[in-house]
This record gives sequence, structure tokens and C-alpha cells, in this order.
Amino acid sequence: MNTMTLYVEKDSPVHRLDPLVKLLYVVASIALTYILPEPLFIAGVLFVTLLLLVIGKVFRNSLPILTLSMFLIFSLVIVQGFFHPDNVTELFSIGPLVFYEEGLYVALVLVLRVLVMIGSFSVLILTTSPDEMVERLIKKGMSPRIGHVILSVLQLIPQMRATTSKITDAQRSRGMETEGSMLTRIKAFFPLMGPVVLNSLNETKERSIALEMRGFGSSTKKTFLNEEKQYPYNKLLAGIIIGIVILGIVWRVMA
Amino acid sequence: MSIIEVENLKYRYPDLTDLVLDDLSFSVEKGECLGIVGENTAGKSTLCYALAGLIPHFYKGAYGGQVTVNGLVVREHEIADIVENIGLVFENPFSQMTGAKKTVYEEVAFGLENLGLDRNEMHRRIEQYLKLLDVFSVKDKNPFDLSGGQMQRVAIASVLAMEPDVLILDEPTSQLDPQGSSEVFEVIEQLTQRGMTIILVEHKMEQIAQYADRVLLLHGGKQVALDTPEEIFSRPDLKGFGVTPPVVTNIAKALNVRYPDSELFPVTIKEFKRLEELK
Repeated sequence: MNTMTLYVEKDSPVHRLDPLVKLLYVVASIALTYILPEPLFIAGVLFVTLLLLVIGKVFRNSLPILTLSMFLIFSLVIVQGFFHPDNVTELFSIGPLVFYEEGLYVALVLVLRVLVMIGSFSVLILTTSPDEMVERLIKKGMSPRIGHVILSVLQLIPQMRATTSKITDAQRSRGMETEGSMLTRIKAFFPLMGPVVLNSLNETKERSIALEMRGFGSSTKKTFLNEEKQYPYNKLLAGIIIGIVILGIVWRVMA
Repeated sequence: MSIIEVENLKYRYPDLTDLVLDDLSFSVEKGECLGIVGENTAGKSTLCYALAGLIPHFYKGAYGGQVTVNGLVVREHEIADIVENIGLVFENPFSQMTGAKKTVYEEVAFGLENLGLDRNEMHRRIEQYLKLLDVFSVKDKNPFDLSGGQMQRVAIASVLAMEPDVLILDEPTSQLDPQGSSEVFEVIEQLTQRGMTIILVEHKMEQIAQYADRVLLLHGGKQVALDTPEEIFSRPDLKGFGVTPPVVTNIAKALNVRYPDSELFPVTIKEFKRLEELK
């Protein structure tokens, strides 16, 4: 069964952490890159983040995500290095274009920040199953309706994709051209959309009925099949993360 | 008191001009299996929705008369209050899966979580109904990885686990292959033997004849007749309502095998053989 999730099922200390602590880490690590925008400090946060990916045995899985961000990183370096308004000190030039030290510094901070964002989100997404995450959030007060939407989208989009493929096969079996030039593909796209959209709307209506008949609209306080999981060093870790953020703020104010 | 009482029920969907249910009045007794037959657009599914409270709470429109289930007037209670009294399973097993649960076990738990049941009670009910529906062996599988018949049995287990007094099955086998259909009918047989009140909408008249105690014949939203399967399927005007009697009844008509001193024909093979021997 395909689901739209990047979660990598492994046994590691990071996997065993409370999803909310990991979520807190994402927020705190990104916030710290703004509170203390020093390359060395952000590099430190990035090091911790990469260490978490290694401990979580998902570093290799995060590489494709980091690779995808390379285009953005190169763009940042080029744009800032050549065109930042505070550029003064010349580093090198390519024809009429001059690359400056100040722009490189700004780009370095931005690049490190982007890497921290991607890295910390990777820690969360690659080591936390969506069900665990959503259930934890619902137990903390998030609306079960929102939780249901998040979880069902992860499973139902691959199902819709499968339906689309079936409809394409059905159309192809009746002689419709669906492969070939761009024009042929565009032509094949429109007849496909009608049945796919109608089918999805119909299934959505039926699923809403099924959910109603399973008491989804009930105002009774919801209970959970899975027992509340006990997470190790939950409060201690949350305290440390919040403490570091507070220290960062104090440092910034004092400096 | 009857478990279901329908009094002068009328209903029209929004944006339609004609009544889809036109002055229906009948009752269903506890433990009874009521078959509903009629051609497409006769109002069978709409009636199921009205019994389950989806009309008028989910589907708006013009509504008249009254439906009472287990003493609850459907119009005056939310669907969430009604689901513990009446459960609905419909034709497409795929769209009855919540899509938010990764295992069959959790899928069945979904409704129980919404009812706020405690964990021990949930485990008890899930295991009981997964075993009853013979899907306990696939409890750890993803619901979408099951066959159509298994998926439909999980849908029935999910509804039954909420322990409603009445189960409505609206064409539960129309999208299944013969193997899947027979799996579902085995479950229906078991449930009728356990004395569950069942409302069964089916186009397979052999199955209606086998399981229904009484049959409600609808045509154009109107109640044509409510009687035993023998009375309904022996009607000479049945085809005019878009309903074909079971094959065995047609053979009995051709061979003039009927109940003694009666105009009624047998509707099951068992009865046919018995009457043949009497002859």
C-alpha cells in the first residue's frame, strides 16, 4: 500500500522521541537562526541537526531532499554575491559582473538557514510516522477533523493516482492516444479529467456518509485505541530546547 | 413496539421537483429481516438514508412524516445519536474505508473512538466482530490492500462493532465478484440466524427470497406492497415494477408447482423441492 509519507521506519533514539519535542526542535532551531544570525552559530545548529539525522539512521534518506535544495542555494549565493546592496569588498569578477565578500557573507547565513530548515524538518518527517504525529496533536487539543484530513490525504492521493491510471488504461484500451508528443498528451489529459473528478467527488460524498455513520460528527469526547505512549526524557528535552532559545534571546539582547 | 416505525414518510431532494419517497408507512419488528426491492430510482437507497438519519440531516430537502428507530424520532436527533441504534453499509466497500487508518484493526476502532468507548471495551468489540466477519487474520493489513469481499466485511464489522440494533445493507454485493458476494451473504446468513434486525436492499432476488421475512416493493417512491417473499414474487404484475422473481419461482410458475390450495409459488430451491415431492 503506497502512502504519501517520507517516514522511514527504523529503531533509533530519535524515532523514540516525542513527536511534539521534535516539532519543538524544528521551531526552535529555525528561530535560533534568526535570533543569532552568525554563520558560526548557525553552523553549530546545523551540526546538531545533521547529528540527529545520523543518530536517527536517516541521513542518507535526507540527502535527496538536501540535493533538491541545491538550486535554491546556488541562486542565493549568486544573487547575494553579485547584487546585494551592501556589497563593497570585491572578491573576484566575471566579465562585467563583480562578486563581493559582503554578499557572500549574507548568502552564507541564508544558505545555512535553509539547510537548518530542511535538516530539522527532515528529522521530524523522516523519523515520525504521520499517525503518531497526528494522534499526539489531537490528544493535545487539535481538531480530530483536521487530523483526519491530514491522514486521509496521505492515503487517498495515492488511491486517486491508481484510479487515474485505471481510467487511462480503460481509455487507451478503446483506442485513445495517451502517449507520444506533448500535444497528444495534452489532448488525452482533458477527457481523463472528467471521469477522475466525478469519480473523486462521488467517493468523497460516499466517504462523508460512511464517516457520519461511524459517529465522526459525535460531540462525545473522543477516546483512543492506542495507549498514550511514554516518551523518554520528554520534559527534560523540551526544557533544554526552550532553555537554549531563551539563552539565545538573552545573548542577542545583551550583545 | 416495533423497532422501526415509518409514518407517512415523504421526501424530495433539493433541486428536484418529484417526490423520491411518497407517503411510505410501515414498521419493522425486532429480529426481522426486511428486504427492499424495486427498479432503479424506486427510492430504495433514499429510504435507507431516511432510516439511518442521513435524511434530513446530511441530505437536506423537503421532508414530511416521521421515522422512529428504537423510540428515537430520527428528525429530532443528530446522526451521531442515531448511529448506536442503526448502522448503514452501502455498495462501494472502497469508499467506506476512512482512509485515515493503516490497519484493519484500527479501521474498526475508528467508530468506537468517536463513541468515546474505553480501551478494553474497544479491544473486546474489535476482536469479537473481526472474528464474526472472518477477517481477524487480516487485522494488521492495510484496509486498501484487501480484496473487495474482505473490504466489505471489514466495513460491516466496523458498523457492527458500534453494536446498533438495526443493520441496513444497501446493495452490499453489487460491486463485488461472485466470491466476494458469497462471502458477504454468508455473513448476512449468520446475522439473521443471530436475530439481528436487518434491512436488505438487493437486486439479487434469490438472496432476498432466502433471507427476508418480508419484502417491501417500491415503485417510483411509492409503497406498492409489503408482504412475504412468496406473496411478492408470486405477483403476476411484478415485472411491471422492474423486478424479476427468483429463477426458481419462474421455473415453479412454468411447472405449476405451488403451495397447496394457494396461488403462491415457492421462492427458494428448498421449498421448490418440498412442494415437488408433495406433488
